[in-house]
Amino acid sequence: MIARHRRTRLAATIAAATASLLVLAGCAGGTGAPDSAPDANAEIIVGSQNEPTNLDQIFGGSSGVTEVFTGNVYEGLFKITDDAQVEPLLAAETEVSDDGLTYTFTLQDATFHSGAPLTAEAVKYSLERFISDDSIAARKSQLSVIDTVTAVDEKTVEVQLSSKSISFTYNLGYVWIVNPEAGDLTATADGTGPYSLGDYRKGDSITLDVNEDYWGDATANGGVVYQYYADPTALNNALLTGAVDLVTSQSNPDSLSEFEAGDYQIIEGASTTKELLAFNDRVAPFDDVNVRKAVYSAINREQLLDAIWDGRGQLIGSMVPPSEPWYLDLADNNPYDPDLAADLLTEAGYPDGFEFTIDTPESGVHSTVAEFLQTELAKVGVTVDINIITDDEWYQKVYTDHDFEATLQGHVNDRDINFYGNPDFYWGYDDADVQTWLTEAEQADSVEQQTELITQVNQKISDDAASVWLYLNPQLRIARDGLTGIPENGLNSLFYVYDIQEA
Amino acid sequence: MLRRTGLLLLAFALAVVILFVVLRLLGNPVYALISVGATDQEIAAAAARLGVDRPIPEQFLDYLLQLARGDLGQSFTNNLPVADEIARRLNVTLPLTLLAFVLSVLIAVPVGFIAAWRSRTWYGTAFSAVSQLGGAIPVFWVGILLVTALALNARIFPAGGFPRTDWEDPGAALFSLTLPVLTIAIVSGSDLARYVRSATLDVLGQQYMRAARATGQSFAGAFVRHGIRNGVVPVISILAIQLSTTFVGAVIVERVFALPGLGDMLLVGIQEQDFPSVQGVLLFSTTLVLLLGFVADVIQRIIDPRLRASVSGNRRARAVA
Repeated sequence: MIARHRRTRLAATIAAATASLLVLAGCAGGTGAPDSAPDANAEIIVGSQNEPTNLDQIFGGSSGVTEVFTGNVYEGLFKITDDAQVEPLLAAETEVSDDGLTYTFTLQDATFHSGAPLTAEAVKYSLERFISDDSIAARKSQLSVIDTVTAVDEKTVEVQLSSKSISFTYNLGYVWIVNPEAGDLTATADGTGPYSLGDYRKGDSITLDVNEDYWGDATANGGVVYQYYADPTALNNALLTGAVDLVTSQSNPDSLSEFEAGDYQIIEGASTTKELLAFNDRVAPFDDVNVRKAVYSAINREQLLDAIWDGRGQLIGSMVPPSEPWYLDLADNNPYDPDLAADLLTEAGYPDGFEFTIDTPESGVHSTVAEFLQTELAKVGVTVDINIITDDEWYQKVYTDHDFEATLQGHVNDRDINFYGNPDFYWGYDDADVQTWLTEAEQADSVEQQTELITQVNQKISDDAASVWLYLNPQLRIARDGLTGIPENGLNSLFYVYDIQEA
Repeated sequence: MLRRTGLLLLAFALAVVILFVVLRLLGNPVYALISVGATDQEIAAAAARLGVDRPIPEQFLDYLLQLARGDLGQSFTNNLPVADEIARRLNVTLPLTLLAFVLSVLIAVPVGFIAAWRSRTWYGTAFSAVSQLGGAIPVFWVGILLVTALALNARIFPAGGFPRTDWEDPGAALFSLTLPVLTIAIVSGSDLARYVRSATLDVLGQQYMRAARATGQSFAGAFVRHGIRNGVVPVISILAIQLSTTFVGAVIVERVFALPGLGDMLLVGIQEQDFPSVQGVLLFSTTLVLLLGFVADVIQRIIDPRLRASVSGNRRARAVA
């Protein structure tokens, strides 16, 4: 059905092109299809640069697999909404014991795409798989509080935690419930979501077919194709020529003007991607708070954001974006003030500045940012050497070996302030209060208590200039006019496609 | 012939070894899979799963045994068989290369011939200049110009991509290959035209052409009877090299036009440190290029008996004798 629809469209394109060739070379471009009532059978073509490495979230499928599968093909016991709220999904009912250590979930009546019913065994299998030794899933450590999982009966699962975890249900929102019979999931899929995997063409596209037997609400479209582009220009061209209907994330603000002028909607939502200048807080001179604060205040971040994102995005003063409950407006906590920077350097014993190296991954905007920082810091007498390394080298040198002075990195995940509670993390921030607060926050009795404690952490790491949080990326989506139901935000790469509708 | 075959096999064996070793010097495939937050244990588990924690000689032996069975292995990232993936990608790359090659020959032969035959006329000079220019433009630049003109402005062709149904609808598939084929053909056709021009000039200046004309043959008759046969021999090896270059050049063009071909597989494989994929693509391409050279050699020997006779002797001396 879907393939046929697509072929018809291609044939029409060819016919139209041939006709226009025959008529006149100089005539204007096509006018497009006439507007009509919403079409629930229309296939939506999504253009993205974020192709999954593979299709399994526990084997390093990358954020690309979250974008295409989470909530669409696979579902969790809970769902994280586009505005970061937790809602039950496959867990129809949840009971928590008074000590907060036992969770009992009653499952929704759902079936996998292959036809097998959703069972407590499948949930047990999926949770255990997620935290298994083999798993390299991004959120594995947060879920390692799971002690045992028991299938009480066909539809009831009991999870025992080793310690209280107030974020448990939130974290479960990212864990896919998979069919244990499906086998190797790196190139196939079997979930309970509104779409099943139609076709996987590595390097090209992933086709999602509508799951006609879906237990929940019907989708607003007749299927979705994710078309992948390695080259940003090729992606923009595809949108300009109508080969894709929308682009999940625009990484190049320079090309926005092309779309602002045409029949496109530009959607700016909240993102969780932070650009960081991370110090190695273990080594001199960055073990000195004043040095870190001096570097922070020497950087005109507003100018940087303008240069990189054309003024879109946002200045932040800590690891926490506004979409998280413990957000504080700390953008001015370490203000841009070269005089203050010079004073702080003198106070720290570096009146004539010092020299350090930024190890910067070659990917993305990092090397441009590094050059900007070099110019800014030179103004207060600090000499920056830039060492461009591959992403591989970054993991080895910076992440694993901690052999660096400062580095640049984009941190994409939500709620990743927790990294400041781990003194062994690559940046080596080590503060006993922060560690205690974060542990207590996770074991809090109420969300209010948790929020209060992490807010304290937020303030503290900002006061300590544990890193320089340069800016929060904007989340930009571009879609052709006439599409509705596009999720606005891009929290942790989530992108639910079932409400997208063609007018 | 035996010696030529031996050289071919030796080159293949060297390619196998060099590809294996060089790839392993480039980096660690585990880092392409993990994300920030991974612990040392998780990194080690991933390395064990891929088998890259074992000693290199052991990995190499496994690879050789696998290769001996005709198996190119499975992708590190998604476990799909590399050979199947290459076959799927050839659906794009092979037609792209062959069409571009045929088109570039169709452009190059008349252009090069006229540029040589009518080298003193204004259009002969113009053909010569245009082919110089065409060969000097980077292939991606030609691609961008064609996309801007014929896809973004005139909206005649798609700006990129390939039908997900592959060749089920041949018209649509050909349509999406039109601009990429043109891009390659313009650049490699210009290159080839320069060779055809100099080969033709060479033939036109030869004694046997003058001798033939002196016996009363027309220019066309002399050229067809003596010229082509003599001129085509060097052109055949150029054609083989050109076909190889076209194939390799497709890598860049596939990226510009977002085509899911072998070039794309190679680039993504390198990014993801997917050794089996990269090894598979490079070994396949190397073998193809080696075979092309071999076939060109054989054809040259069939056309020109002097080459058949001389295995290692002085060709010119024998030809004169």
